Amino acid sequence: MNTESIRHIIRAVLILLVQVLVLKRIGLSNSWIWMHGNIFIYPVIVLLLPFRLSRHYVIVIGFLLGLLIDMFYDTIGVHAFSLTATAYARGLLLSYLEPRGGYQLSMSPTQYSMGLNWLVTYTSLCMVIHTFLFFTAEIFTFVYIGQIVLNTLVTFFLSMAVIMVYHLLFNPKT
Amino acid sequence: MNNLLQFVIRYSAFLLFLLLEVVALILVVQYNENQQSIFANSNSIISGKLYKLADDAVQYNHLQVTVDSLSAYNAKLEERIFNLERSIQKLIPADRPLDSCILLPFKLIDAQVINNSINQRNNHFTIDRGSNDSIRAGMGVISPHGIAGIIDQVGENYSVAISILHSAARISASIKRNEYFGSLVWKEVDPGHMILEAIPRQADILVGDTIITSGFSFIYPKGIFIGTVERFWTEGGSNYYTIEVRLHEDIARLNRVFVIDFTENELTTE
Repeated sequence: MNTESIRHIIRAVLILLVQVLVLKRIGLSNSWIWMHGNIFIYPVIVLLLPFRLSRHYVIVIGFLLGLLIDMFYDTIGVHAFSLTATAYARGLLLSYLEPRGGYQLSMSPTQYSMGLNWLVTYTSLCMVIHTFLFFTAEIFTFVYIGQIVLNTLVTFFLSMAVIMVYHLLFNPKT
Repeated sequence: MNNLLQFVIRYSAFLLFLLLEVVALILVVQYNENQQSIFANSNSIISGKLYKLADDAVQYNHLQVTVDSLSAYNAKLEERIFNLERSIQKLIPADRPLDSCILLPFKLIDAQVINNSINQRNNHFTIDRGSNDSIRAGMGVISPHGIAGIIDQVGENYSVAISILHSAARISASIKRNEYFGSLVWKEVDPGHMILEAIPRQADILVGDTIITSGFSFIYPKGIFIGTVERFWTEGGSNYYTIEVRLHEDIARLNRVFVIDFTENELTTE
């Protein structure tokens, strides 16, 4: 347990609390936007894990985190399904987005060490996968593909806005 | 054998991913099929405590709304007491409630909603009463302005209820003016509306008709006000009306609710 992993755990707990106590409550209103959208900030926990962490750990963390969120959202398995997929896709995307010199040991997937352009590409690709799979698993049939796409778009833009605000406001270094 | 082992090592991340996805999908399907969450207990204890804490913190902001709805409900109670007294005075057998022969009088357990959702396909809410307060699964939950849901999982101090905004919720409801009855379902229109199905074409319906519970199930007693008819139409070639009902209760602001407890009377032969 070095200071870095403790920092990651504390950040994960705080983000989880914000997700289930604040962002979940915002959705409790009758307006059109909340019928089709949610705000998901918790995928950030998986996205911010260090580069050198083995893929297996990332996938297992994604699954367990998803189950935890499911307990609070009363949607057993849905968040776990989409977050596991996101955690797996993270590995593929990281090798796809790898800079010319490869990843340095001192680098972490943040704006501070990778720059804003890289971060926006990486986060938005992961979030598209996450939100699309979330609504696919929730609705569980492709008959309602229109609804899945609409929900995905609304949720994606809301979540991206909140996640980017988080990055710009706190500018996490690791 | 060696090849197989090498394959497993090479694709171990992918295989782990597949395994966990299958587990997650099994959870999703099982949950969808029988509405039995494996997390019943942890749900009621861990997240129940946390939600209770958060709810206490924001409760203060809702005081005015709570007071308003409580006083409205008080007024309605007064009205019902008045009506009951009048019908007792008349003592006409026809005025007796239909179910008085098999059921004891209703008992209401008051509870507070500490967690709620309206924007998912299957919505649930959590109340701060459990088996210690003699809550059982299957009890109906009503709110000051209508109906709210049905108790699903019961913990010791908290229970989770299926909201009426749930794809599995079917509530037997009738039109007050002419007593035609059908079943009320939520078609994910929006949280303010539900669809009343299976009302035959010969029924005369007016926009603004009152929809009440029919009392044909053992969940809700007869005559609880649900909402009013907003519009109605027939799907092509169907013999039944599809009626859009505007709910009187705003499920998004569910706060104080009452759980209906009724015990079946043992049948006595006279």
